[in-house]
Amino acid sequence: MVTSLASRLLEALGPDTVRSSPEDLAVYAYDAYSEGYLPTAAVIPRDAREAALAVRIAFECGEPVVPRGAGSGLCGGAIPARGGLVVSMVRMNRILELDVRNRRARVQPGLINLDLSRAIAGHGIFYAPDPSSQKVSTIGGNVGTNAGGPHCLSYGTTTNHVLGVEYVDGAGVIHHTSLDDSGYDLTGLLVGSEGTLGLVTSVDVRLMTLPESVRVGLAAFPDVESASEAVSAIIAAGIVPTALEIMDKLITGAVEAHYHAGFPLDAGAVLLVEIAGPRDDMAAGEAAIARIAQTHGAISWRSSADPQEREALWASRKGAAGALGRIAPNYYIQDACVPRTKLPAVIHEIDRIAHDYDLPVGNVFHAGDGNLHPLLCFDRRDTRAVRAVVEAGTEILATCIAMGGTISGEHGIGYEKRDAISLVFGADDLAAMGRVRDVFDPHRLFNPDKIFPTGAVCGEVRAPAAVA
Amino acid sequence: MTASVTPRIVKPSAAADAAATLAACARDGAAVVIVGGSTLQSLGNAPSRCDVAVHTGGLCGVRDYDPRDMTAGIDGGTTLSEIARVLGEHGQWIPFDAPFAARATAGGTLAAGWAGPRRATYGRPRDLLIGSTIALADGTLARAGGMVVKNVTGYDMSKLYVGSLGTLGLIARANFKTLPLPGARRLAIAPLAPDLRERAIAAIGGLAIEPAAALVLDGFARIARYPHAAERLVLLFEGSEAVVERATRDLRSALGRAGIAETLLHDGDAAAQTFAEIVDAYVDASGERTLIYRSTGLPSTAWTRTRTGEALAHTHGLHAESIADLRTGDAILRFSARTVAAFTAKIAAFDAGVRGAFEHATVLAGGAALRASIDAWGTVPSTIATMRAIKARFDPAGILAPGRYVGAI
Repeated sequence: MVTSLASRLLEALGPDTVRSSPEDLAVYAYDAYSEGYLPTAAVIPRDAREAALAVRIAFECGEPVVPRGAGSGLCGGAIPARGGLVVSMVRMNRILELDVRNRRARVQPGLINLDLSRAIAGHGIFYAPDPSSQKVSTIGGNVGTNAGGPHCLSYGTTTNHVLGVEYVDGAGVIHHTSLDDSGYDLTGLLVGSEGTLGLVTSVDVRLMTLPESVRVGLAAFPDVESASEAVSAIIAAGIVPTALEIMDKLITGAVEAHYHAGFPLDAGAVLLVEIAGPRDDMAAGEAAIARIAQTHGAISWRSSADPQEREALWASRKGAAGALGRIAPNYYIQDACVPRTKLPAVIHEIDRIAHDYDLPVGNVFHAGDGNLHPLLCFDRRDTRAVRAVVEAGTEILATCIAMGGTISGEHGIGYEKRDAISLVFGADDLAAMGRVRDVFDPHRLFNPDKIFPTGAVCGEVRAPAAVA
Repeated sequence: MTASVTPRIVKPSAAADAAATLAACARDGAAVVIVGGSTLQSLGNAPSRCDVAVHTGGLCGVRDYDPRDMTAGIDGGTTLSEIARVLGEHGQWIPFDAPFAARATAGGTLAAGWAGPRRATYGRPRDLLIGSTIALADGTLARAGGMVVKNVTGYDMSKLYVGSLGTLGLIARANFKTLPLPGARRLAIAPLAPDLRERAIAAIGGLAIEPAAALVLDGFARIARYPHAAERLVLLFEGSEAVVERATRDLRSALGRAGIAETLLHDGDAAAQTFAEIVDAYVDASGERTLIYRSTGLPSTAWTRTRTGEALAHTHGLHAESIADLRTGDAILRFSARTVAAFTAKIAAFDAGVRGAFEHATVLAGGAALRASIDAWGTVPSTIATMRAIKARFDPAGILAPGRYVGAI
């Protein structure tokens, strides 16, 4: 079967498109998660037709199909957990159509997120979802995980910006979905399905008008709790900034050492606030936020309308995880999301848990959304620390769920959290999802071992209550 | 509904009761139509059978609402005006943008897949939905999402039920993101003379402050009136006082340059009231001799599509009124004849004309006699086989609103 998949692919698509030697396949074994598995073959299609052909051949061989964008996913969504075929989208990276007037574009899934906004900025428009990985991650990968980013506080996540997709089913047939179509919202189902329902080969995205004015404010607080309280107060005042981000002292120190963006080093936490909109609202919005920050104990406040300074602040915020390399050889990042009023309590608990396990923890998070990213620092060579990270991580997730939260805000479930999903959803909830999987992928060949718990019968649906 | 007998009415008082009711109906093979405020029952085809009407009025209340979290868990049968009242006390709202808010329910608005003219600004109700509890035909309750504003834990199942018109399950509970109420609201109405129209529409596209909604109304004489103008531009601005003031100044000078000197303004509640009347008109086919379609498409073609509708009406001797949505691309096309008989006589040819002219057009409302011989959905999407398979998987007995949905689902 192994030889038959690779040889059939080679025959159909040629050596320039197909990879099958172990040394060539090694790069497709991993993404940004720790575990990896070697695929049987990989293809790098140029268009939907080639992708569809590859999927059909893999299914005929009974081999799984795993889509791959940049491989920047943190939860193992792109690892070929059961071998099979990896479909790399790197060559399908073009903007196929751009309709400035109607604020939409059709793009290939391998297009890098930031490349899209850069390409269209001259028209005064932008693509809103901006995950921190946007310099490398692809639109297709973003669709797979329903990626977020700092600015989804007011703009929403990827799913709010996808108008339709083109996808390939297991028979290699190409389908189109559109929000304009009558019928069930297949677009909404496909976004966030992590490649388990089909292979997305193009995406229709909604574009937005660039705001007239943008201001970024930086407030320094004595600790994360007071910064979190300020976040709730800003929202409670009826202000919805485009972004509300918190970094604690550990993160700020690492980031400042790397980027020199001017973050205060004496603060327990910094709060990054961005407001955007008509220029008439800027002064009042900024004043209100500064006042709230002050009443919640801010040590300092500064703001900037300068695009370059803003860029520098955002670049360093988005590079925060990478900058941690200065502190520890490895880090483990989590992605839980809680109601934002629970932030101070959750942060307190995370600190306690990290302390109990003797692990340094950095907190950098999308505070406005309640989306936490605690980073547990460790050294992979220290087996005791690795065990501690796993246990502390589980405890943190359980804490977040107990506070009304969930286990993933934007990174996805992937391979890593497929068992943890049972902490959030019961058998009936997962069975409903399994029914959708049954329809799109009855043979469980699209990205198997992802999202759904291992060994669970979630894919199986109980016999319906006796049908008359 | 064209059920042969009067349906039995069931009004569950809890989500679990609703699920049990559906399971019992599935067991008996009894066809179920789910009923909320009955404001959008005109969407889709009349179900082929209806033995039981399950009313959601017993599932009522804003249950889980902390204004500081800006999220609200709402039972499916709660009316939109009740939601607006509870959230409004805290300066928040959910822009459902749906007709007849006093009767319309959260679950019904979602099930109908309603998306109004303000969606270009605030998103569709689907975009504000963060979690759900659905009563399914096998008697289970399936949850999806949660009470957090960002969530990628499992499939985004909530979206499947939005727009499913009660063919997959009953929306017992819906969790939403809430938004801060805009501080000011202003409706601007300007007359459109045919020779100035194109310049005016172009001027709207260039406004620095995008209106929350931008419509061209033709006809609908009793709503959003401007003296002696059949065709008028209706713009809704929502935001801070300062922004609304500037938007008005910008608008007046832009329209002035396009040759339109006069603009009528409604503020605050009057603006909200007038705008609500426009949205009500989307589905108000009172009288049996009217048929309303919604054509979806690119914003840049919305107005042209209303002209296509006008031309079709002319060909068939019908009267046409229209709303072109310059921001969302919707074209609302309202056709009427002098008598029911006059319309019925040509309905088949006329509907075929509509289908030929528009890629995506669905019937929003209309007289029962007119609708009896036409399909509400028009173009069947290419993914219909997948949709049928979903229906079979969720409602294997086929009891939920049989025949109502696209492709006779």
